[in-house]
Amino acid sequence: MDVDFPREIHDAIGDGAIMENGMKLVLLLAQVMTLVSALVVVLHPNILYATIFLLFSFLGVAVMFVFAGADFLAGAQVIVYVGGVTILVLFAIMLTQWLYEAKLKTTLMKGLIPFIVVMGALGPILIKETLKLSDSVSATPPEKMGEFAALAKTQLIGQALLGNYLLPFEAITILLLGALVGAVWLARPE
Amino acid sequence: MGSHSAAFAHSLQGWTAGLPILGATPLWIWAFLSALLVIFLLALPFGGIATYVERKVAADIQDRIGPNRVGPIGLLQFFADAVKMLAKEDFIPRGADKFLYNLAPVLVVVGACGAFAVLPLAKALVGADLNIGIFYLVAVTTLIAPGMLLGSWGSQNKWSLLGGLRGAAQIVSYEIPVALSILPVVLISGTLQIGSIVEQQGWVWQGEMMKNYHFWNMFHNPFTMFSVFILFVGGLAETNRIPFDLPEAESELVSGFNTEFSGMRFGLYALGEFCDVFVMSAMVTALYLGGWQVPFLNLENMWVTLPSGLIAIIHFSMFMAKTLFVVFIVMWLRWTLPRLRVDQLMGFCWKGLMPIAFFNVIGTALWMWIFHGKSMMQLVMGQ
Repeated sequence: MDVDFPREIHDAIGDGAIMENGMKLVLLLAQVMTLVSALVVVLHPNILYATIFLLFSFLGVAVMFVFAGADFLAGAQVIVYVGGVTILVLFAIMLTQWLYEAKLKTTLMKGLIPFIVVMGALGPILIKETLKLSDSVSATPPEKMGEFAALAKTQLIGQALLGNYLLPFEAITILLLGALVGAVWLARPE
Repeated sequence: MGSHSAAFAHSLQGWTAGLPILGATPLWIWAFLSALLVIFLLALPFGGIATYVERKVAADIQDRIGPNRVGPIGLLQFFADAVKMLAKEDFIPRGADKFLYNLAPVLVVVGACGAFAVLPLAKALVGADLNIGIFYLVAVTTLIAPGMLLGSWGSQNKWSLLGGLRGAAQIVSYEIPVALSILPVVLISGTLQIGSIVEQQGWVWQGEMMKNYHFWNMFHNPFTMFSVFILFVGGLAETNRIPFDLPEAESELVSGFNTEFSGMRFGLYALGEFCDVFVMSAMVTALYLGGWQVPFLNLENMWVTLPSGLIAIIHFSMFMAKTLFVVFIVMWLRWTLPRLRVDQLMGFCWKGLMPIAFFNVIGTALWMWIFHGKSMMQLVMGQ
């Protein structure tokens, strides 16, 4: 496995080959954890266990974000998905007893036909885009990626959200506000 | 990421370079050790000693003597407790979900101890001065909520489950005022890096001159004075301390989410809780009370040059003194205030703290705009 770590991580671990291999091992563990947990989420018959492994999958993704130099995203991932989404799912399961007792059956075969149809329609586009992405990644020299990783990204993200991407940002805010008002309206006492 | 711990590991390697066995130790062992140092020299002993201090404070307030048998004035009580917990039968109730039951205390401890990595104990002593430091702290402590919830579900006990549900709902709700009371500091400092936030609460360099004195963030403007209290109260609720200890309300829920836990698993829960209290107090200290800054003094630039080791020790003692004072207030409140009701708890968060927290954020933003980021101290001193 050949990984180009962001410069911050290079600074943190020094140049020692053992250290670098250790870091690669951590990354590999995170990747394995993400994938295995994701598989358990899909295959486990108990929905509560599926949720817990969803939590581990989220954590693994957060670790991968850190290795990609996107530490702000990693923090957001943990706060939103582990601290928010997982807790809400757990609440929903625990407050509806039958959900916990229900045995979920995996219907992988049922999904086969939709899968073929969707892949037939979108597959070429997906493959083309993936190839384009990998081209652009290999076109960016690693030194440049290091420079990007060392930047104070939080400020860049803030400036981007309130600058170039102000309109989508505000659109999302309004959507979330709408969802909030809707939730309160649904939960109002009759 | 991790420039400080890396520097620490490098310097450890540097100091020991000449020594026979230690000199040959590779860097990654030093990095590992410096991380362990934080957990084993700080988090665990604090969790242990805090249980002793808590009981002593309680005894003092209630005019009792408290633990006084083990060691001088009962100082080794926590050691005896630990031995007792380790020696207890490893009991898992029948019908409990073993996987969840074992996993839950671990999540709580990981959440609380993980936060120790970014606490700025002194200028030169930070586990990892991440550039998203305060964000990381908020993120890693969210692991505590699933820990409580899963433990309570796993023990298959309705009192536990009620406690766990209350606890998770409380943590999720009070996270919002806490995050909103962190925001004014981020507005003032312009960074999420805790080391830099603390550094800005003292003398600020302007070129060669040490010109600007920025007092603690608490006294930056009138709004931050309220913010610090909201952060403290929200932190109190997030750590399930009285008056917000509904998840373990003894009189209604036996012992709440940890009813079915015994032995070292219960010990882990207690340890996690005390570490969490420490982390919360340290957060208040670092963000609003100047962290390791000694008020009005700049130790690195005085009429005498102090050795860097001494400066680190003074910084560390300053930080610990402030943090432990906040911890003491937490313990003090426990014997002063009655417990809230569930609806009062939620009402207090959403109708009481939230509007004030929002008002503080907007107020601080306006202050920064009107006075060009100057603190009250700077305005008074005419800087």
